[in-house]
Order: sequence, then C-alpha cells, then structure tokens
Amino acid sequence: MRSLLRRSTLLRHGLFFLALAAILGALTWFVFDPFTEYNVAGVAIYAISAAGLTVLTGLNGQVSLGHGALMMIGAYTTSVLLQWHPDLPLILMLFASIATTGVAGAIIGIAGARLRGPYLAGATLSLAVALPQVPTHFASLFGGNQGISVPTPVPPDALAAVTPQQWFTWICLAAAVITFFLLANLVRSATGRRLQMVRDNEVAARLAGVDVARTQVLAFVISAICAGLAGSLFAYWITLTSPTGFTLTLSLSLLTVVVIGGLGSLTGAVLGSFIIVYLPVWTGGFASSANLPSNVANNVPLAIYGIVLIAAILVFPRGIAGGVASISRAVATTFRSRRQTSTLPASPAPPAQ
Amino acid sequence: MLEVSNLTVAYGGVIALDEVSLSVPDASITAVLGANGAGKTTLVRTISGLVKPRHGSVLLGETQLVGRTPEAIARLGVGHVPEGHGIISELSVDENLRLGGLWRRDRADQRVAIEEAYELFPPLLARRAVQAANLSGGERQMLSIGRALVARPSALLLDEPSLGLATILLAQIMQRLTALVSERKLSVLLIEQNARSALSVADHAVVLSLGKVALSDRAERLAGDDALRHAYLGF
Amino acid sequence: MRLFTIYTVDGVVNGMVYAAVALALVMIWRATRIVNYAQGAMAMFTTYIALVVIQHGVWYWFAFVIALAAGLVLGALTERVLVRPVESRPPLNAVILSLGVLILLEAVAPMLFGGQTQSFPAPFSRIDITTGSTQLYVSPFDLFSVGAVLVAMVLLFLVFQRTTLGLRMRAAAFNPEISRILGIRVGRMLTLGWGLAALLGALAGVLAAPAIFLYSNNMDEVLVFGFTGAIIGGLDSPIGAVIGALGVGLVLSYVSGYIGSDLAPLGGLVMLIAVLMVRPQGLFTFGRQRQV
Repeated sequence: MRSLLRRSTLLRHGLFFLALAAILGALTWFVFDPFTEYNVAGVAIYAISAAGLTVLTGLNGQVSLGHGALMMIGAYTTSVLLQWHPDLPLILMLFASIATTGVAGAIIGIAGARLRGPYLAGATLSLAVALPQVPTHFASLFGGNQGISVPTPVPPDALAAVTPQQWFTWICLAAAVITFFLLANLVRSATGRRLQMVRDNEVAARLAGVDVARTQVLAFVISAICAGLAGSLFAYWITLTSPTGFTLTLSLSLLTVVVIGGLGSLTGAVLGSFIIVYLPVWTGGFASSANLPSNVANNVPLAIYGIVLIAAILVFPRGIAGGVASISRAVATTFRSRRQTSTLPASPAPPAQ
Repeated sequence: MLEVSNLTVAYGGVIALDEVSLSVPDASITAVLGANGAGKTTLVRTISGLVKPRHGSVLLGETQLVGRTPEAIARLGVGHVPEGHGIISELSVDENLRLGGLWRRDRADQRVAIEEAYELFPPLLARRAVQAANLSGGERQMLSIGRALVARPSALLLDEPSLGLATILLAQIMQRLTALVSERKLSVLLIEQNARSALSVADHAVVLSLGKVALSDRAERLAGDDALRHAYLGF
Repeated sequence: MRLFTIYTVDGVVNGMVYAAVALALVMIWRATRIVNYAQGAMAMFTTYIALVVIQHGVWYWFAFVIALAAGLVLGALTERVLVRPVESRPPLNAVILSLGVLILLEAVAPMLFGGQTQSFPAPFSRIDITTGSTQLYVSPFDLFSVGAVLVAMVLLFLVFQRTTLGLRMRAAAFNPEISRILGIRVGRMLTLGWGLAALLGALAGVLAAPAIFLYSNNMDEVLVFGFTGAIIGGLDSPIGAVIGALGVGLVLSYVSGYIGSDLAPLGGLVMLIAVLMVRPQGLFTFGRQRQV
C-alpha cells in the first residue's frame, strides 16, 4: 500500500483532498456558526481564484493585474443567466461561468502571448480598469450601477436539516477541494513542468521542443477558469453583482494573496486567502473598539496589504510562504544531520550545513 | 604606484584569483598575460571595484582600494578601459569624452584634458558629434582610452585593447601610450592575449595561470628567453 | 464637424496630462528598467498635500510649487529606500513592490485627508473662451495645462541634453557599470531620476484634479492611460511616450463622445491591444532593443 502511495501522485492527492473535504464538511455542519460559515466560504472562493493566479504568475511567470476582471466575467455570466431564468441549477451556472471565462482567458492569452513583463502587466491593468465600466454602459443587460441581485442557493429537499448558508459553504469547499486537487496534479505533471520551463528560460524551452505560445495561452486559460469559477460563486456569496465589487482593488488583492502565500504555492494561496478574508474582520473589530473614525478603519486592511507587499519583497523575495519554507528546510536539515551522527557513531562528523 | 597583495576572488565555489600579488611602479607598464579564463579580466575588475575580493589588498599609493565603490575608486585616480571598448554607444564621441573626470572641480583643466585627448587621437576630432555606436573598432578603442585619460588618472587599467584592432593601429596607439606613460608618470596594467605586442611595450610581465601568478619577470627577459616564452605563452 | 473639433481639443488637452505621466514612466523605465505603477497614486498624494496647503489659506501658486517639490521628494525617497534593494533582482519583485506602494498610498490618503471626494481648484477659468461672437473650444485652464506640460518637457529636455548633470543621468541610465568606473555616482543619478519623474507625475496630478476631483483612486485611470501611451510609444522612447499618450487622449475622447463615456477605457484597451499585436515592442522602439 505504501509503495503504491509513493508511486501514484494522483492517488496520494486524491486521498489527501478527500480527507480534507470530509474534515471541512464536518466542521461546517457541527462546529461553525453562520458568520464563520460565511467567511469560510469566502476563503474558499478567494483561494480558488488565487490558486489559478499563483499558477499563472508563479509557475508560468506571466504577471496578470486583471484577474478581478476575469472574476467579474464569471460573476456576470451567472448573474445575467439567473436574472433571465432564476431556476437554473447552480452547477450549470458554474460551468457556464467557467466556459465564458475560459474563452476570455484564451483571447487574453493569445493577445498577450507575445507580450512580456511590463507590457503584459500593462495590458491586464487596462483590462482591470476598463471592464468594470461595461456593465455601467450596457445597463439594460447588465443592471448598470445598481447591479443584479443573486438568490442564495437552496439545499435539496433530502437535506432539509442543512441551512442554505451551510449548503453554500459546502459547495464552495467542494469546489475549492476539487480545484486544488486538479491543480496539485497539474503542477506535478509534465504540463506543469512545461509551464515552469517556459518561465525559466524561453529560448531553452523552445529548443527543447516546447510550443511556448501554446503553453502561455494554456496557463492563462487555466487561471481564467479558476477566476471564472470563483467569480460565479462570488456572485452567490455577495448576493449582488455590481461594478463596484470588481474594481482594480480586487485584482490587486488577489495579487497580494499570491505574493503573501508565495508565488506558485497552492498552500500559500489558501493562507493568503484566509488573511484577505479575516483581516478586515479583525481590523474592523479592533477599529470599533478603539473608536477609530470610518475613513481610517475602512482603510486599515488595505494599508496592511500595502505594507505586507512591500515588506514581503524587501525581506522575503519569494513571498512569506517561501520564507517559511526556507526556515522549515533549515530545521529539517539540522534534524537530519543530528540523526546521522547518533546512528552512525563510527562515521566522521558531517560537514557543516 | 599600484600594489596588489594576496588578492583572492571567488565566484560561488570557483576560485578565480588565488593570492595574486604584483606591483606596477610609476611611469611603467606591466603586462598581464595568460590564457582565456586565467583570471586577467577578473583581476582588473577587482582593482576597479566592480568585483569584491574575498581577501587581499590593492594599494594606490597609500590608499586602500578594496572595499570602496567603483565610483570612489575612479575618483581616486584609477582609469579602467574595459574589455570590449567600454564606451556608451548612445552618447556622442564628445559626450563620451566629457564623461571622463566629470567630478573634477577644475573645469578649465577638464577642457584642456579633452583637447589633449583629441590631439592624442586626431581621428576622434573629426567624428566628435557622431554617436559612439557608429564608430569603427579602432575609433572606439581610441575613444575608450582617451576617455580614461581625460580624468587624469594615476593608474590605468587596459583590458585587451588589441581586440578587434588592426596591428598597425594597435602599434600606433601603444606608441602614443608609451610616450604618455613617461610624461605623466602613469602606472599602467596592460591585460593582453596578444602577448607579443604587449611584451614589446611593457617593462614588466606577469603571467597568470588558473588564477595564480605563474611567472613574474622583466618583459624583455620573457620576450628574449625562448624556452620560457614557449612554456608560458606558447610561442 | 463642430463635435469633432470639440472632441479633438479635449483629446489633446487630456492627452497632454497623460503625456506627463507617460513621460514620467519612461524616465523611470530607462533609468532602472522598472515600471512605477505607483506613479498615479504618488501624484494623488502630492495633490492632496497641495489641497491641504490651499485650505490653510496659502496662495495657489505656492501650493502648486509645493506639490511639485513634494513629488520630487516622494520619488527620490521611494527610490532610495524601497526600490534600491530591488533594482538588481528579477523584475517581478519591482512590480509587486510598486503595486504595494500604490495600495499603501491609496489606503493612507483617506486616513490622512478624509474619505470623501473633494474638489480641487483650478488657477484659471475652465469655461471655454468666447472672443466676440465665436466660441473657441478651449478654456484658459486648458491652455495653461498644455502649456505647463510643454514647459516641463522642454525644461527636462534641456536638463538632460545640455547640462553635465543630464549627461551623467543619461550615462547612468544607458550603462550603469561603465558610468561607475567613470566616477559617476550612479545611485544618486537614479534617485534624482525618480524624483524628477515623480515631479512630472505631481504636475499631472494638479492639472487633472480640477476635472476628475480628488479621492484616493482618482489617478488610477490617468495612470492606465499614461501607461498605455508609454507602451504604445515603446517604453524606451520619450517622444514615443508623448505621441502615444496624445493618441490615447484622442481615441478616448472620440469614443467617449461618439459612443459613451463609460466605454472610453475599453477603447483605450482596444487601441493598446491593436498596437501590441502589430508591434509588441511599441511603435517607436528602433534598433537597439532590449529584451522585454
């Protein structure tokens, strides 16, 4: 059994994520209060989006400042469809959003395939600023500035004991677990290696036979799909889809999550999402107890993100998860060398680490 | 006087210079010879401050150069003419020359120094407004050396000045250089692959091999002794 | 025809403000190979400083100068303290760092200056000039804006091309290593470059504020448009940046006028993509092209 686990990444990942899903599901049902359920759903949603972005930027090296806009496409797809036909099942909405955002991701990826560094960042930045204006202009279709309201999904009759809040949290957790399972396998796969090869050295990758442009577009589509899925869930989560929910701040927040968590780190995406959802909660609580005026209180989380981004780059160039990773590596190495000296008394002392 | 003592430089785990010591007295030229990868360019880049040594000392007169920034070292009077012409291609010939010694307070002397550079290398005068990118190899080399001289250095580091130059042109430049050396009491460190031409102008010669000093002797001795020359320089 | 003239004039006037930002971005790019995404936010911040000064009864022109000086200081400080450690590292670090500065400034501004949108005065009338029976489509303030940016550009040009300081700055930007062995304090030149760029940004901030008002992210769009202009022109070309920015101003104006003001940024994006598909390195990047 152990050797089977060691050989099959898929099996290992599958069991891990299944267990994770079971634990989280149980916690939601038995432990969490509604407020926590709401926040946990939020963490799952941001984590899905951040996971896609961290694969794009961390693994493939393409900087996107426009993932908030992609989430917006996912959210509006779901919202417009629901406005037209309120009874459409959630799972269909998720797939619809994935489809539209996937197409958008392909378009952006193709347009941006020849762009590097600041040129790509600039194009995605323009997207992040330009796209939120579209619903305002085409108000009849997209609800304008007032937005479109989105109903909360109702659990099936068989699960009558489950509240809508719990049901939705389960859905978000399930979506997140599935997404992370798929991405974890992708990262370890040949495709994942190709993504990194192109990031590290395009010329070498091309010489090795990798289709660079196709790899770049693929990376964009994958990350866009994640954003679309997250966007669709986001619409249900905030119950009102309007342009104000998708400003540049959202795109920058996603980037903050990815940086805090460590570029390319899926675990880091979860960590960063946790911080991004809970920080405003904590600072909000602190602000009201300290009687801070609203213009200060509302901006404390943003100020902290800014400071964290700056500090992370100056102190931990690979993101805080990277910093944590190097600390744990150092600890592991010390333990390993200690164990060596105690079990092999006749051998000379290992070289200094 | 340029005095290098026990200079050791390592890149990662690789030792590029291993306890290198040499000295260049005033008004003399010391040639540094050796195969590719022997450490010649590393030596020069360490002296001019672009590379930090692991340990060792470089004295310009009484002043310690190790640990200073390249700008500070340049301002102390070290002129570095890098391998591959070291000019700024986006600027004109005149602008490149003006860059030498910009920190000096004596503006009048600065102008004189620039005129002297044009006298030394007349072809540059005709091309003074031309963008440096459009110069020929020989003109670039003249510009590079001229620019270093404008700063009125006391030590001059020349890294492979013969690269890409026709032999006649090289000989001309070397001739003018030798005259300057005795005039201005320069200490010149001359890195060369072209050992023959270097030995013809140098007073002293140092041969580097794999980062170590393999031989240090008077240039005419090395040039005259066939066996020695064969062993160390292959001709 | 009348509408076209109005839109064209609007486009040029706005384009000049974007050109100031575009030029600032190009200056920093040429010196340090970094795009300063925080340039707009810095301009917002310095404009707020000017507003505070004005609200304390100070004459507009003093406040104007203070805004520019604040820009100079802010830019120089940012380079020296935050950007210097990152200059030698992979480019992604600088992107995230400048985004961090952007977020921080946009969060701190409401804390210091209040969260509500404020208006910012213009030193000249913003009503279109009427001479006799004909109405021109420019206001005195429009003329001032265009003039101020032009003067700033000319001054910068003179400094860079005709002074020794400018020579040193150019050398430091073109080839930092050779500049060092020529005794040029490259670090100081870069700090000064950032300072001058931020000064240009500050100018754009006070010129834009009367029309777009003052709030924490009022300069986000101006940054994007300036950036678009710089990219279209090619990040290495100052002239390209100005022409690109003017082009963006015009396109935005026409889209805004003929189609709808909400869609103007989208028009800018389409223009950007169109140019980059044809020439990924920008319109005015020739010859010696560094790998982007």
